[in-house]
Amino acid sequence: MYRSAAKRLMPMFHRQVKIPPHNHIQSLSIFNSQSRFSTSSTSESFPNQNPDGHFDSSSSSTSTKAFNDEKKTSGHDHEAQNTRTARPGRAQYEEEQERVLRASLNHVIRFGWTEAAMIAGAREVGVSPSIVGSFSRKEAALVEFFMDECLQRLIDIIDSGVDLKDLIPSARIAKLVRIRLEMQAPYISKWPQALSIQAQPANITTSFKQRAMLIDEIWHAAGDDSTDVDWYAKRTILGGIYSATELYMLTDASPDYRDTWTFLDRRIRDAFDLKKSVQEAKYLAEAVGAGMGGSVQGLLKKVFPG
Amino acid sequence: MATTLRSVTRLMRRKNLLPMYRTGSMLHSHATSFGYKEVREEEKSQMVGNVFTRVASNYDLMNDLMSGGLHRLWKDRLVSELNPFPGMKHLDVAGGTGDVAFRILERINSVSRRAMRDAFEENLLEETKIYVCDINPNMLNVGQKRAAERGFAEEKSLVWVEGDAEALNFDDNSMDGYTIAFGIRNVTHIEKALAEAYRVLKRGGRFLCLELSHVDTPIVKDLYDLYSFSVIPAVGELVVGDRESYQYLVESIRRFPRQEKFAEMIADAGFQKVEYESLVGGVVAIHSGLKF
Repeated sequence: MYRSAAKRLMPMFHRQVKIPPHNHIQSLSIFNSQSRFSTSSTSESFPNQNPDGHFDSSSSSTSTKAFNDEKKTSGHDHEAQNTRTARPGRAQYEEEQERVLRASLNHVIRFGWTEAAMIAGAREVGVSPSIVGSFSRKEAALVEFFMDECLQRLIDIIDSGVDLKDLIPSARIAKLVRIRLEMQAPYISKWPQALSIQAQPANITTSFKQRAMLIDEIWHAAGDDSTDVDWYAKRTILGGIYSATELYMLTDASPDYRDTWTFLDRRIRDAFDLKKSVQEAKYLAEAVGAGMGGSVQGLLKKVFPG
Repeated sequence: MATTLRSVTRLMRRKNLLPMYRTGSMLHSHATSFGYKEVREEEKSQMVGNVFTRVASNYDLMNDLMSGGLHRLWKDRLVSELNPFPGMKHLDVAGGTGDVAFRILERINSVSRRAMRDAFEENLLEETKIYVCDINPNMLNVGQKRAAERGFAEEKSLVWVEGDAEALNFDDNSMDGYTIAFGIRNVTHIEKALAEAYRVLKRGGRFLCLELSHVDTPIVKDLYDLYSFSVIPAVGELVVGDRESYQYLVESIRRFPRQEKFAEMIADAGFQKVEYESLVGGVVAIHSGLKF
């Protein structure tokens, strides 16, 4: 439930730049103002970029006189319209970008999370490396792609039914976090670089969101269906554990990251014990209080006899 | 002051409107615009050619004077949008004086210096080719002279080609990048130039266009009009002794399609991910497209 809700919410967070209708595009600030638009970030696009290639003249009729005039002057409208129909769907470049990113992952170990890896990836799939320039936040796009890929793989693993049923909740979570962290084990030597890219101010919102999605996914798979304030507490705690383990893993030289998994298990046990501990602490405090009260009373009695 | 400004703009608006009505009636005589004048298509390229032959020698000085040096920043911005890489095959159309080409080359060299330890990149560096294409040999001469001054005389990556943006002399799918800075305005058939750009680019190749564009913010627009119609031709007359050419320049800017219209034209040529960015409130705009 949360998963689908989160997915539905996600696009809202992404910066949406709509193509404004003509005449409304001007930005109000005076100098240095940059109005941008893009055919990529919205479903609305130039009328002629519709997949069916139909030219929607109604939208351009709202334009200024000069605009109409230009159109008449061009005199090549018919030719242009013919080529338009033949053009493939507009999402094509996004698929190509994805292919490039996927291929780039093979080069990350050699070049790191860099433009060089992306250029090598583009060469591998036979696309001009110029395409790298079309990613607005170059290396971040690669890291974010990897994060999304890993999340998808984790979801697939969960959906294909890992044997989680017979595990207690803490063990389920430990297992899922481990599955996820093992995915980035091949890139461990370059992972600090990825973390630093994710921590850059321009990228931090996306990386935070991706982590939130991941944590939510893990709790969801672990069978958590809380709807109260616990929901936040649980996700905050697991987020902390996940990040701590991720960092521990970076410097872990033990075979198969054994130390990391021990660390993870202990942190999760601690967290689950915390609830119990809070209860125990309360009892203890009461007992101590009662004991203290008794001795204070005794002391007072001794000092002020009678 | 305010009244003079208003009367000037009113005057301009009137000036603006007249040729527009005329265009409609001349639609079938294959007329095109040369500034606000209507000329026959065949004449335009020759007239533009004459303009650039006249201004070639002082081109850079005038660019600096007219834009207050800002054109350097705009070109830097263009190149950083392009994101050049070692081994790139790039075509810079209407780039006679080499401004954009030098920037691309410098950027590639600095990028590869960072990754110098990689022998793989080293080989690629030699494959880098930046073709500077211009229809006007005088502009190319200026560029070659400047290349020599900058120490690029022996540079094998720079190739100077005389050619027409509407009929490029390059193979299909041969270029990684295509830039045209302050040039497409002077082309007779913009659609043809865009189609050629699309043709020569490889899959994944990018089209980038830096062009003087339209300001929409009311007061800024008035000031900008005042500046371009009163100051620029006067400066042109004063410095180069050529008012006509600079009158053409400011008029041709007004005749160029608006940002969103031009973006549509780029999309019509087949490009995807068409985006534009207006700088300084729209005085210039950088349009980009991706070929697939």
